[in-house]
Amino acid sequence: MAELIGSILVLLGAIFHFSAGLGMLRMPDAYTRMQAGTKASTLGNTLILLGLGFYHPEWSLKLLIIICFVLMTNPVSSHALARAAHMIRIPMTQRTTVDALRATRQRRRSGK
Amino acid sequence: MRRAFVILVVALFGLVFTSLVIAHSERHSLRPLAESYVKLVPQELGAPNVITGILLTYRAFDTLGEVAVLFMVAAGVGLVLGPSGQRRRSSPRKAVGPARPSSEIVQSGAQILAPLISIFAAYIIMNGHRSAGGGFQGGAVTASGVLLLVLASTRYRVDLEFLSMTESAAGVLFVLTGIAGLIFAGGFLDNRMLPLGQFGAFFSAGAIPILSVLLGVKVGCELSVIIDRFRA
Repeated sequence: MAELIGSILVLLGAIFHFSAGLGMLRMPDAYTRMQAGTKASTLGNTLILLGLGFYHPEWSLKLLIIICFVLMTNPVSSHALARAAHMIRIPMTQRTTVDALRATRQRRRSGK
Repeated sequence: MRRAFVILVVALFGLVFTSLVIAHSERHSLRPLAESYVKLVPQELGAPNVITGILLTYRAFDTLGEVAVLFMVAAGVGLVLGPSGQRRRSSPRKAVGPARPSSEIVQSGAQILAPLISIFAAYIIMNGHRSAGGGFQGGAVTASGVLLLVLASTRYRVDLEFLSMTESAAGVLFVLTGIAGLIFAGGFLDNRMLPLGQFGAFFSAGAIPILSVLLGVKVGCELSVIIDRFRA
């Protein structure tokens, strides 16, 4: 039973990883690609590690630590990358309607 | 024309890899050399991790050479990029403007992650003789923590003097440990100068943990210096 649950979790994780790869190929600009890669792969990693935890219960503590670590590092790093890309004005796709970061910065600059 | 060329290249690559796959046959027994290592390392050195046993005893002299190469890399990078005072005057910094402070998320993330990374590095270094890991890997992880701190705060300064002192001390101690092996055991960097202890225990495998720690400190310091040199 535990093996079945573990396999299903790993399969789900693989599906999320696949969607991350698909997003990297199909998304129109750097930012959307980044969010596809980050969100889907974070969830995929978590699910795969959880599935492994069902397979090998004796590893679960280490796997939990790894999951926490991935949950902490992955969003921070992609945030830093996306922010740096925004700072050096990497273009967005034409269909972008809201750019909150630029609006905030302009407001702050005019406020000074 | 271009498309046909691409297809041709892909087909050629496919041919190469297919031939590799077809020619591959799985080896069911170890080569004689590998077999003797696999047998000798746990027996003679008392280290469950064969790789570390080889790296820090049988091939420890090579490891010393590798560390020396890394030291030369650090020195070369320092030579090319120059001391920080000189760089500031003639750097392309003006064109780029002052360094942007990183966002709050990165700063608080670094505050949480830097201790975790340091602990993980220490774990890798200290468990080199028992499972995967060792001085080189742990040193690289340490340096990645330093890189995170450098990225998170523009005010964070790496203490170059302290790092080079520590690094030199670790290097000298490494060589001294090697000479101690020459005196108390069979040869240069022989790990059997200390009792082997219980197989697989935390304090075991003779001098390998000590050499691992020294190597980790040295590599971590060297890579941190290299990272600091690349600061714009």
